[in-house]
Amino acid sequence: MNKSTSQRLPPLKRNWWLKHRFFKLYMLREATVLPLVFFILCFLAGMVALLQGAESWQGWIAFMGSPIVLLLNLLALAASLFHAATFFVLFPRVMPLRIAGHSLPDKAIVAGQWAGVVAVALLFFWLLGRGGV
Amino acid sequence: MSTEQISTNVISTQSASTKHISVKRYLPDNSTETYWQEYDLPVDDSTSLLDALNHIKEQLDSTLSYRWSCRMAICGSCGVMVNGIPKLGCKTFLRDYEGDIRIEPLAHFPVQRDLVVDMEIFLEHLAAVKPYLIDDNPVKPYDPNAPETYQQTPEQLERYKQFANCINCGLCYSACPQFGLNPEFLGPAALTLAHRYNLDSRDNGKKQRMAELNRHDGVWSCTFVGFCSKVCPKHVDPAAAVNQGKVEAAKHTLIALFKG
Ligand code: SF4
Ligand code: FES
Repeated sequence: MNKSTSQRLPPLKRNWWLKHRFFKLYMLREATVLPLVFFILCFLAGMVALLQGAESWQGWIAFMGSPIVLLLNLLALAASLFHAATFFVLFPRVMPLRIAGHSLPDKAIVAGQWAGVVAVALLFFWLLGRGGV
Repeated sequence: MSTEQISTNVISTQSASTKHISVKRYLPDNSTETYWQEYDLPVDDSTSLLDALNHIKEQLDSTLSYRWSCRMAICGSCGVMVNGIPKLGCKTFLRDYEGDIRIEPLAHFPVQRDLVVDMEIFLEHLAAVKPYLIDDNPVKPYDPNAPETYQQTPEQLERYKQFANCINCGLCYSACPQFGLNPEFLGPAALTLAHRYNLDSRDNGKKQRMAELNRHDGVWSCTFVGFCSKVCPKHVDPAAAVNQGKVEAAKHTLIALFKG
């Protein structure tokens, strides 16, 4: 088959995703990466501050406590939860799990992933609590 | 088919109401410009969009061009955009629409005339993934007196069955922005069909298909927008198939890496 014979349309314009609600939601899902990048930068700065010594660590703590940074990190938390919610529903469609020849119901896989999130969060709080004592 | 309503009607003359639809016209013999044409139609509860187009063609305006054949969501030829969303004309009912009903040819394909698009590129992409059983190493040479049948258990069938329901209507290509941005992207239905054969226990062609799948214009152009699966009239879930294909392609790359 000769590929050059069939016609091609010019590519879509950059604003293609504004045409439909479904595409806007998709772009929102993709955009959750932006506040997450901010969180990662904060986190890396914290690591660097920790290495530099007590003074810069205190500076970093103060920076993290400022309302705008708190707000942005809350936004990052919300964004990552939203992303997780959309991703968890997609997961069983991409990786259908089979046990003994039977496929697991999608709902069970989604619930399992949320259970994982809760477990990790609990572990984290427990470690944090121990560190405080 | 039993639970799904299909288009069978000639619109009766004493129908309940009238609806207004706009159709995007393109008649290259007269002009290179497209234009909107309005029609008022008698409709009842069972009037499908295809019934409506047939009514226009037969009663109001014989110059209108569109494709159809089976009128029961099997042949896949009657796809159009309804208010910007790809739909099968025979599976779309006017009772579900209030207000504006705007009919356009399928998006992302070159238009030939009115609602008729050129689907050649879609067919090329389908052919590229070798969508048929490939068996390079038959167990035994074929013996016409005692032909070996390919046996398959219900469990083995279940693995790919959903992906085998595709009717090649192309709605998913009109829904896919990545195909709209890059027509060389093999696209949802072709990648799904490739995955369907890769999952088939009777097939041995996965290696050959991987060459097409595991490249930029193959599975890796997909960003899981997921609209293809929303519009698919046969619940094939092409987005799932394409993304399962990514997992397979990644495995393929890794294995090739270790084999050196
Ligand atoms: S996957 Fe669905 S939407 Fe795409 S061509 Fe097949 S039947 Fe049509
Ligand atoms: S006419 Fe065959 S699918 Fe609609």
